Amino acid sequence: MPKLAGVIAGAGLVLAPAAAPVWAHHAFAAEFDAKKPIRLQGMVTKMEWINPHAWIHLDVKRPDGTVEKWMIEGGTPNTLLRRGFTKNSVLPGTVIVVDGYQAKDGSLKGNGRDLTFPDGRKLFLGSSGTGAPKDGRDPAEAKR
Amino acid sequence: MSHRFLASLGVLAAVSLAPAPVAGQTPAAKSKKTAAAKTWTPPRTPWGQPDLQGIWDFATITPMERPKELEGKDVLTAEEASEFEQRTLVQRNPDRRDGGSQADVGRAYNQFWWDYGSKVIGTKRTSLVVDPPDGRIPPLAPEARQRSEARAAVARLPAAGPEDRNLWERCILGGNAGPPMTPGAYNNNVQLFQAPGYVVILNEMINDARIVPLDGRPHLAPDIRQWRGDSRGRWEDNTLVVDTTNFTNQTNFRGAGRNLHVVERFTRAGADTLLYEFTIDDPMTWTRPWSAAFPMTKTPGPIYEYACHEGNYGMFNILTGARADDKAAEEAAKKGTR
Repeated sequence: MPKLAGVIAGAGLVLAPAAAPVWAHHAFAAEFDAKKPIRLQGMVTKMEWINPHAWIHLDVKRPDGTVEKWMIEGGTPNTLLRRGFTKNSVLPGTVIVVDGYQAKDGSLKGNGRDLTFPDGRKLFLGSSGTGAPKDGRDPAEAKR
Repeated sequence: MSHRFLASLGVLAAVSLAPAPVAGQTPAAKSKKTAAAKTWTPPRTPWGQPDLQGIWDFATITPMERPKELEGKDVLTAEEASEFEQRTLVQRNPDRRDGGSQADVGRAYNQFWWDYGSKVIGTKRTSLVVDPPDGRIPPLAPEARQRSEARAAVARLPAAGPEDRNLWERCILGGNAGPPMTPGAYNNNVQLFQAPGYVVILNEMINDARIVPLDGRPHLAPDIRQWRGDSRGRWEDNTLVVDTTNFTNQTNFRGAGRNLHVVERFTRAGADTLLYEFTIDDPMTWTRPWSAAFPMTKTPGPIYEYACHEGNYGMFNILTGARADDKAAEEAAKKGTR
């Protein structure tokens, strides 16, 4: 079952890396339904800064005025901490837009495929890697 | 409970080794160790052992096995390495939306949450596997292939309970924590502590701490089995050698069984570099032993606690998802019989 995986192969390219799949802690396909895409705008009420996956709680106002309480799953806070993001970086009251998929059982939970502010800016901006040097200081490299 | 433990193959790497010859030292591993030891003299602890302590980061995008496309190519040039890195990062970028909804669900949250590094290892070798020389893990023995297929079949069914899901999802073992350690998607950090007579290997993933005695005591009795096996350490010159046996059948490193035997070697190769090598042996699983090697880089840290179980809402959601799948299947069957 597909976990996170860059599956698309760059066919025909000499150096097409068979992108070794990388795995998340658990299988999202077992938890969320690809047939239930969601797009929500809501106000953050709480960010649960927990492992293995953080959860953002949102109040989402429906057209009829009622409020639904949603929970959106993210990744490990450890990675966010290393990037300088903290529990206070998403404060209650912040309005965000979630583009994702709903839980298979129909409960008000989703995975946060894309998290943005209403003006389209991404909530989490970053690139891969911690910036720690990987410059080939292992000994065999020096010999080449 | 049936033998439905198991799970997504490849997630947990467990290697099975029959109590095998001492430290399967491959020629490659040996020569590397020698080179490292010759080029740099490590500091010593007050009690005279090489000092390996610190927090080490082992993230890399070099794959465990050499990609088929690179067959016959041991090492990339600087230009090829750069191209490989760029292409891999594009392929893995969860922000891309070109795979359809199923791929979208798997890609889940965006790049900000992932931490698998952005560089290949410094040697620019095309695989972490150094032996066999083709950079590929040897084929599974027939019995292991059957075992893997049976596990995969179970994993495709909706889980009846947590025991049907893999050990990582259950917060029992960390996917990259080993032994042996293997670079993964995040939490690629390990802290080493030393005290007279012991080394502690603390992995960030799942907060696993392996306490490794160095006093030459034998392994546990064969009938005592542990998720992460039973580790014993010793020094060979400046290299810490850690020998691990007594795994469970469920540990399942890349399909291995309970006889998995892992030998890890830790050698300081510079102020900021720790060379990590491991050899895997399990004749019931692979047709021959195999070895991998990669550098770890000193990182200021800290390591963050990864208290997995208490907040593991994912398991609850997976099981409620499985019940939803059951219900949908029942309804479909009813419709079909009308």
